[in-house]
Amino acid sequence: MKTWKRLTYPYIFWMMVMVVIPMLLIVMYAFTKAGNDVATLQFTFDNFVHFFTDADFLSTLWISLRIALVTTVLCVFIGYPIAYLIANSKPQRRNLYILLITLPMWINMLVRTYAWIGILSDNGLVNHVLQWFGLAPQKLLYTDFSVILGMVYNFIPFMILQIESSLAKMDRSLLDAANDLGANRWQRFCKVTLPLSLPGVVSGITLVFLPAVSSFVIPKLLGGGGYMLIGNVIENQFITVGEWNFGSAISMVMAVIIMISMVVTRKLDKSDEGLTRKRGKV
Amino acid sequence: MKHEKLIRRVLLGAIFLFFYFPILYMLVFSFNGSRSLTSFDGFSFQWYEKMFHDANMMEAIYYTLITAIIATAVSTFVGTITAIGLSKSRKLVRELVTQINNLPIMNPEIVTAVGLMLFYVSVHMEKGFITMLLAHIAFCIPYVILSIMPKLRSLDDNLAEAAMDLGATPMQALGKVIVPQIMPGIVSGALIAFTMSFDDFTISYFVSGNGVKNISTLVWTMSKRINPSINSLSAIIVLMITATLILVNVLPLLKEWLDQKNKATSKRVVGIVSLCFVLLISGGLAWLKNGAKQTMNRDEAIAQFGSDTLKVYNAGEYIDPQINEAFEQQYGVKVIYDTFDSNELMYTKLQGGENYDILIPSDYMIERLINEDYLQELDHSLIPNMSSLAAGLNDLEYDPDHTYSVPYFWGTVGIVYNKNNVDIEDLEKEGYNILKDQKYRGHIYLYDSERDSFMVALKALGYSMNTDKEEELEAAYEWLLEVVSTMDPEIVTDEVIDAMINGNKDMAVVYSGDAAYILAQNEAMSYYLPKEGTNLWSDSMVIPQNARSPKLAHAYINYILEYENSMNNSRFVGYTSSNGEVLETLSGSGGEFETNEAYLPRMNYDYDEIFHYNSKTKKIISDFWTKVKIAK
Repeated sequence: MKTWKRLTYPYIFWMMVMVVIPMLLIVMYAFTKAGNDVATLQFTFDNFVHFFTDADFLSTLWISLRIALVTTVLCVFIGYPIAYLIANSKPQRRNLYILLITLPMWINMLVRTYAWIGILSDNGLVNHVLQWFGLAPQKLLYTDFSVILGMVYNFIPFMILQIESSLAKMDRSLLDAANDLGANRWQRFCKVTLPLSLPGVVSGITLVFLPAVSSFVIPKLLGGGGYMLIGNVIENQFITVGEWNFGSAISMVMAVIIMISMVVTRKLDKSDEGLTRKRGKV
Repeated sequence: MKHEKLIRRVLLGAIFLFFYFPILYMLVFSFNGSRSLTSFDGFSFQWYEKMFHDANMMEAIYYTLITAIIATAVSTFVGTITAIGLSKSRKLVRELVTQINNLPIMNPEIVTAVGLMLFYVSVHMEKGFITMLLAHIAFCIPYVILSIMPKLRSLDDNLAEAAMDLGATPMQALGKVIVPQIMPGIVSGALIAFTMSFDDFTISYFVSGNGVKNISTLVWTMSKRINPSINSLSAIIVLMITATLILVNVLPLLKEWLDQKNKATSKRVVGIVSLCFVLLISGGLAWLKNGAKQTMNRDEAIAQFGSDTLKVYNAGEYIDPQINEAFEQQYGVKVIYDTFDSNELMYTKLQGGENYDILIPSDYMIERLINEDYLQELDHSLIPNMSSLAAGLNDLEYDPDHTYSVPYFWGTVGIVYNKNNVDIEDLEKEGYNILKDQKYRGHIYLYDSERDSFMVALKALGYSMNTDKEEELEAAYEWLLEVVSTMDPEIVTDEVIDAMINGNKDMAVVYSGDAAYILAQNEAMSYYLPKEGTNLWSDSMVIPQNARSPKLAHAYINYILEYENSMNNSRFVGYTSSNGEVLETLSGSGGEFETNEAYLPRMNYDYDEIFHYNSKTKKIISDFWTKVKIAK
């Protein structure tokens, strides 16, 4: 039995190299000046000062948080009723529904997002339909609307699956008890179902909010060339501009914001089950 | 209750429509007869044909599959033994490992990605297949561990003890008792790993390179312009995923069904089915790999050029792909062809130490590369076709004698406008200031390029586009700010090409080559070069100092300049050829671009300038442009 402990050694080593060192490198780059070797590291706060004193970067951060928040709220309000309906269907149907929700997530996210371009573009499908009904065509693609739509489309399955699983686990006899005690439907929902499903909602929120804040693919594809969220700024710093130190600092800021929001939501949701089903694919 | 059923049906129907409609839409349009993503013009298999003939796509599918398979196998194995080991470790160790293990899951993907990229750069690992594979394994293992841990927790500790009391070795106890018990966890872990790897974009984007692309990163580079092959690629993905899912769901059922009949045959059948599957997959992979790399007689190439591979780094959608294929055939070599979005991106990669044999950057960037000693001098005796360079390309300020560079395409920056909606008199009267004419409010595209936007503004104000006077730059900034705040323009990149072909708006600032393509596709459009002058640009082929196959690179440059190749390339891309004869043929009477206002660059016009690199103004312009974009 003791020998089994040794089974962890390879991974502990691997983890140090592939997880811990990269993280430390980001921190190191974030706190040093550009272009100096490991031998002559020059410690500095400049990268952070640059970020936090520039109104443009701050406003980008603010917009990213706002878009992610709107996405999350939409996912909760659309996802909850759907999850509720699925959790309350017959077991066989329920399995089918869950399969139908997970299936699209197997298909490449870029490809699925790309599909929306044809649907939303100025003379795309939606506008054709609008014109057909005699309505004025709308500008849909390359707006906040299309970015949020793309995010909801990609991330809402996480929310539905989380809420659904917490609803399905609920003890039905509690509802009967509430019924016996004279609660009406609305009261039963507010006092029993809703509180019991909250952990699912909370872990759904983290699973939607986290990728929504940091995504740079959806804003670029559906927001157009000029659309910048914080993820695009990081990508830009690393890939185009080449200022890795500044890019690392922004990555750190984002990671810290997300860690804080995780800790806060974790406080509300004690189980770590949320993580196991992050992708919800299985 | 009837009522409720209806609501349920409507809501679920709506959500599934939302989920599946885009996928269906892609499948339908993968059979489209035209390039359009918005109107269906007849049924055709052309995009599938294109895809199967496109070595890049086949290679991307190959890399995606092989990465996903290896990453899944390794991460499932490592994850399983680690999880088992952890369950027997001290609490402190277990907690600590679990916490660190959670880091990649809780971190935004982009953070994990840049961390790994910094790591590879620090240890001087060249980006490619290995770096991508290691990264995939790294982000898959945590999910495998996470999905196995709960199963182990609910396992009775005494089981293994009992097995060993009965004489099993620890390894036997592991294999015969523990692993079968936690099998569901392992399977679901493996499935998560497979899909994570199969789907990954962000991490692969940052850590792969040198021509290695998976499906996601390939789609990313292709999506800059409308490309219906993406649709057929996605159809193939749907097919592959469906096959995998069926297999995963059907195999256990089959086993169960056979088990009921006869245990012995069941084992054999499952074995045969698995074997067939493995053969099928490896056959498919071998086929893909073959499609990706035509084997030719490479020894000859090595004898002649000292190398059998050429790495080319060019802007996206900037070549007729047949040219590379023909070059490969003729010289018996492999061309690794990578693309960049911007000169700056190319520079960053070069700075990061990546190796290329041929780069095709723009004038000002070549000036910078020469100044910073990144390029090697060309051996003109190896490029006889240089004699055919167009007259307008002699004495280019950044490299007057073509010591380092040979022009590839060239042209101007101007305004594409819809002849039916824009009055040519307005254009002639106002020049660039038409972009501030309220008559055209909401009908304008600006190109998302800081250089060219400032060129427009500076020229409109009558300054030189190479000015380094801060007050002039400031004035240009104000000019642009006024345009974005009063004219409601849309700031776009390459999507402008399709948008103008569709006639979405009336005016757009574009490169002449894109304009030539737009004009060829939509007769209502024309091209205008304002009298205030413009940017006379050229993109040229250069060989960096660290090129590994300089001889072959010279051969490539010469090949591109050849009449026929230059002709095909120019006709395919729409940009102006650097070959004088091609230029004459295409723009002369009866030529394909005879009536195309955008194709032939304006030459010897006093107000036209060539852009120069200036690190000081670059920073100012870059900051101003970011502010202009955010102000919108």
